[in-house]
Amino acid sequence: MAKILIVDDSKVIRDLLTEFLGELSYQVDSAEDGAKGLKMASDGGYDLCICDVHLPKLNGYQILTELGEARGKMQFIFTDSLPDELADQIRKTTGFACLGKPFDLHQLTEIITQSLEKIHT
Amino acid sequence: MIWQWRLSDMKLRTKFVLPISALVMVCMIVLAGYLIQRQSESYHRELESQGETMIKILAINAESGVLFESPYELDPLLSTLSHFSSVEYCLIQNLEGNIISHIGQNHIPLDTLQVLRDCGRESINLVSDYIVGREGKELFVLVYPISTEKKVMPRETLGMTGGVDLSLTQSTVSETIGWIELGMSVESVEQATTHATTAAVFLTLIVLLATILIVILIVNAVVQPITTLVEATDKISRGDFSTIVQTDHDDEIGQLAKTINRMSASLRQSRNEIEQYNRTLEEKIIERTKQLDDAQTQLIQSEKMGAIGQLAAGVAHELNNPLGGILGYAQFTLEKLHKNIPDKTTPKEIEGYLRYVGDIELQTRRCKTIVQNLLRFSRSSRTVDFDEIDVNQVMGGTIAFVEHQLRMNNIELEVQLGTDLPTLQGNAGQLQQVFTNLIINAMHASEQNTVITITSRYHHALGEFGGTVEFNVIDSGHGIAQENIKKIFEPFFTTKDVGKGTGLGLSVSYGIIKEHGGEITVKSEIDKGTTFTVILPVQKKEQLADISKDDNSDGEQSV
Repeated sequence: MAKILIVDDSKVIRDLLTEFLGELSYQVDSAEDGAKGLKMASDGGYDLCICDVHLPKLNGYQILTELGEARGKMQFIFTDSLPDELADQIRKTTGFACLGKPFDLHQLTEIITQSLEKIHT
Repeated sequence: MIWQWRLSDMKLRTKFVLPISALVMVCMIVLAGYLIQRQSESYHRELESQGETMIKILAINAESGVLFESPYELDPLLSTLSHFSSVEYCLIQNLEGNIISHIGQNHIPLDTLQVLRDCGRESINLVSDYIVGREGKELFVLVYPISTEKKVMPRETLGMTGGVDLSLTQSTVSETIGWIELGMSVESVEQATTHATTAAVFLTLIVLLATILIVILIVNAVVQPITTLVEATDKISRGDFSTIVQTDHDDEIGQLAKTINRMSASLRQSRNEIEQYNRTLEEKIIERTKQLDDAQTQLIQSEKMGAIGQLAAGVAHELNNPLGGILGYAQFTLEKLHKNIPDKTTPKEIEGYLRYVGDIELQTRRCKTIVQNLLRFSRSSRTVDFDEIDVNQVMGGTIAFVEHQLRMNNIELEVQLGTDLPTLQGNAGQLQQVFTNLIINAMHASEQNTVITITSRYHHALGEFGGTVEFNVIDSGHGIAQENIKKIFEPFFTTKDVGKGTGLGLSVSYGIIKEHGGEITVKSEIDKGTTFTVILPVQKKEQLADISKDDNSDGEQSV
């Protein structure tokens, strides 16, 4: 089953996603800040990273750029609680989806499915 | 130097009169002096000639009287002289110096006359001179010899007798036998000279006075217009530009007067223009000051709104995570309830739980909308698509959308849309949101059976600016209290009953109009009504290109 990494500084979001995605039979790990998130992502093995834009230590965009080649086939879904310049930049340049918080779980599920399909194509 | 200063300091009249009078006076004095001199000489010559004639006649007639030394013969001769007033005295002397006859008392003492007498005695010619007499009187004295003719026999004929014709040998010799002295008074000559002098002085004075009079008249004729000009220019210099110099002259002074009149008129015109400028300037200053005040008020307002926007963004950011949790768990719970219904739960209870959690989800979505509105208020326009839109059409669509609601509330709608409105760059959806908001607000403020008026018009371009489009939404409702007017665009400010409005409508409208580069203002009077005015700039596509090309999505669109 696909492995998903959740990077979010909000505990309630981490808990919700861990439990909800666990119910959907995904293997879920989580990190509460950007630095930890980057380390875990670098260690590899994840198919998808649901990453908040605004994070302590490193922001979502930095995690993506720091990873570079090490990202491999891993996909990203960004979430943002404030549609500011950083979020705009991610939307424009990364080509990954960016969901505004509070997001709809059904919509998230759809996007996760689409993202994981990309790995196999 | 001092004289020059004084001369230059003198009035023009004095400058003319003084030198001319002085010149005339000097000329007259010289002329009179010369004439008097000539007259006096002429009188003297006459006196001398008279004396000469008289003394010569006397000498001839006195010959026998002197020869016989007979006063009886000479006295009547001299007494004839008493007819001549100029004769002072006359005396006849023999060779020994004895006075044989005399007339008049005013003798000259012998010693003073001695030289003259000596000259007269030795000469046969007339001797004359002016001499001061005994009483200081000046006399003209003439001395003339009295001679007789003697028949003389030559020496060789002396002693000859008979036979000789005596008449042939005798010769005539003139011999002085005495002399006559005549003193003539110069007084009459002096008197005549004095008369002549007096007359000359009198004449000089008359000529001088006449000259002064004529010069004054001439100078007046020249100076009077100049004085008028001086008075006029003095008035002008003191700021009285209404001065007009009356003149019927066509000479240089007349020309000057006309020039001064022209100058005065041109000064008057200039001053009027300056005053006009000053007035206009004052008005402009007042107008500009008001504009500046307005701009400052708006600036303060927009800064305040900016600060509120930042605050709203912070609040929204903080709320979104918990809202995400609430929404997510509600949905998660709903899903679980649908999938795995616990055994002991009755269908009624299940229905209840589903309703509770459904309500949580619904209300969370409502919160999400509020937060997104807050964010839209605080965010810039970069995330909104701008198209070429017909704002009248947008307003028309809005009216169609709210017409039903207005009818239900018995409120009439009067629409006066301008026909010449140009299209402009904007977002139709956002503007429709603004218009809906304004009309609904007007409806809430209005009583039944009143009218809401909607107008639009185009303010034509000024210079390089593209002009503006103005929309007004006018109601005759209860109005907005003065203290609330400044707050109505602030987020969460509402005068509606709790639960009826979120207080975000106008603040979102404000944000939208600002994004369009426009302005939204309000005028209101309690119980008379409120007018909301939206002004949108007619911008060209290229002006907005930088803004609109940037982005084409925002948080809401991506969800």
